[in-house]
Amino acid sequence: MNLNTLKNQTAEELASTLGVTERVGLVEKFASLGLPHKKTEEYHYFDVDKILNVDYKTLGYVPKTIEIGEKIVITDGVVTSAPQGMRVYYEPCEMIDMEHFDALYYLGHILSGHTIKIEIDGDAEVEIEHHYTQSDTLIHYRIVLYNQANRHATVYENFVADDIKNTLVLYGYDVHIAQDSTLRVVKLQSMQDSKYAMVASHKVNVAKNANAILKSFDLGGDQALQVLKVELSEHAHVDAGHLLYLNKDSKRGTISQIVHRGEHSTSKQEAKNILDGEARGIFDALIRVEHSAKFTKAEQNAKSILLHDKAYMVSKPQLEIYIDELEASHGATTGQLDEKQLFYLQSRGISYVEARKMLVIAFANTLIEEVKDTRQQERIKTAFEKVFYKNHKD
Amino acid sequence: MSKGNNKSVMKIENLRAKIGDKEILKGLNLELEPGKVHAIMGPNGAGKSTLSKALVGHYDVEITGGDITYKGKSIKEMEPEERALEGIFLSFQHPVEIPGVNNAYFLRTALNAKRKHEGKEELNAAEFLRLMRDHLEMLGMKSDMISRSLNEGFSGGEKKRNEILQMLILEPEVIILDEIDSGLDIDALRAVSEGINKMKDGKRTFLVITHYSRILDYIEPDYIHVLKDGKVIKTAGPELVAQLEEHGYDAIEEE
Repeated sequence: MNLNTLKNQTAEELASTLGVTERVGLVEKFASLGLPHKKTEEYHYFDVDKILNVDYKTLGYVPKTIEIGEKIVITDGVVTSAPQGMRVYYEPCEMIDMEHFDALYYLGHILSGHTIKIEIDGDAEVEIEHHYTQSDTLIHYRIVLYNQANRHATVYENFVADDIKNTLVLYGYDVHIAQDSTLRVVKLQSMQDSKYAMVASHKVNVAKNANAILKSFDLGGDQALQVLKVELSEHAHVDAGHLLYLNKDSKRGTISQIVHRGEHSTSKQEAKNILDGEARGIFDALIRVEHSAKFTKAEQNAKSILLHDKAYMVSKPQLEIYIDELEASHGATTGQLDEKQLFYLQSRGISYVEARKMLVIAFANTLIEEVKDTRQQERIKTAFEKVFYKNHKD
Repeated sequence: MSKGNNKSVMKIENLRAKIGDKEILKGLNLELEPGKVHAIMGPNGAGKSTLSKALVGHYDVEITGGDITYKGKSIKEMEPEERALEGIFLSFQHPVEIPGVNNAYFLRTALNAKRKHEGKEELNAAEFLRLMRDHLEMLGMKSDMISRSLNEGFSGGEKKRNEILQMLILEPEVIILDEIDSGLDIDALRAVSEGINKMKDGKRTFLVITHYSRILDYIEPDYIHVLKDGKVIKTAGPELVAQLEEHGYDAIEEE
């Protein structure tokens, strides 16, 4: 399948090409947004043509027997393992956002007739591992995640790939965070080789008085985008943190929209980007405060460090505000490592490479330390060091 | 000791250096005798801090002539970390704050880099903390200072104590103290001096850079060198301090 053939098709043509007879509304939405290309605003800095204009194999997506394991494992888009008693099953997605800004959100839903539905009980901690085994393949799947009201659950998300190449992963979550609850999602992606490209297109609904804590740690290579839309109800809160460490010629980042719909909703979004080699980082983030969202508080900040003169960061924090009764701030800075700090460490016998690593981790630390579980913190730091040393010889 | 002694641990010969376009050191000569305390005194702008920076390979300073030899080997081209591993230590006048770098982690990394360089086994966290404990007490440092970010939010006195803590842990051979007494109250000065004096074992060499003689009441110097306009213009024994106090730097003529 070559996704580029979907370019400039009408809804009817798309329905015919994709063999869709139901859910015509989704196809119409996809047709109206159009397949992303270089001139699509959100994808302007991402080499989207390169990943879409490829002949990919497709998979059958036959549900397999789910083995009992410590974590949920999704192999090439199919659940292969889950903890005992965990409610994981397939069903058509009932609540799709019909106002999402991302065409690939709709394409993911159209291609994935049945979604993986995960219901998290109580104050559980759940680990989800995405495992990819196929080369030259389009892997697409959607996940729907529910938690319970008044509970505080955590999802740790990790990615593993076999020795594959030229694969494209289109996946994403529709997350429904119940009233008076907290859902913490910590995503770590540390794959360095160019094994697969990814567009992860999410939608997060945060109900009244609920908290969404979304932390992503992207240490990957190749190309990947995290596309995120969050909607906040009354007194709902989102705390989104994105750490990006890139090198070589990778192009990765976050495109997001946080929409304040309810009164007294609050948002905090912080991005820290560390770019080495000829990498390109993307942080294109909009906070929209609607008429209904009086007394909103919104805070958005992006800080970037360029470790190489060919590294490039696109930072576009934006506010779109339709009311007066709110507090909002945003900002972006880009710089280099502080040479005074670097020298200080070296003057104590610490090598240039080690000193750089210490400063880069120090820069990232405020985000890493927000992951409350110290084991997960160590896991992120270890992944970071592994990636760092792979690209820097002492 | 100033001239012609081949027992020097460090020898600075006709050193010329500039910062930006401005030449600061203009043919400076100085020899440091092992185990002795050398004090460098001089007016503002004489080149005292530039000298300390030149010795540790600071990026601000470009050496345009002359040489610096340490234990008979030129260090002019050596990286800052190599000089540190070889035993040269600078206590900074204004230690930089590094948020996010844990003080204990930093110190252990530095110590283990040195131990590795010397072919010794690295210390684990528990061994390192044991080593730290006595030093902290002696310097009057609270134990929580080692778990905080390096120098972040430290008072002037705390930063200087932290410099001395690093010196005690790393056990360097040539110790350069750049205005170690600036910003210290009397208790901090006493604690810092005690730390320095603990290191005076007749083998380590000190280069104390100072504006004022106050610190020299606590750390007795063996030699006083007067630095003026980028050169050492006079070297004498500790008695020179009183003369400088009385007549100032203007009264000193180049030898």
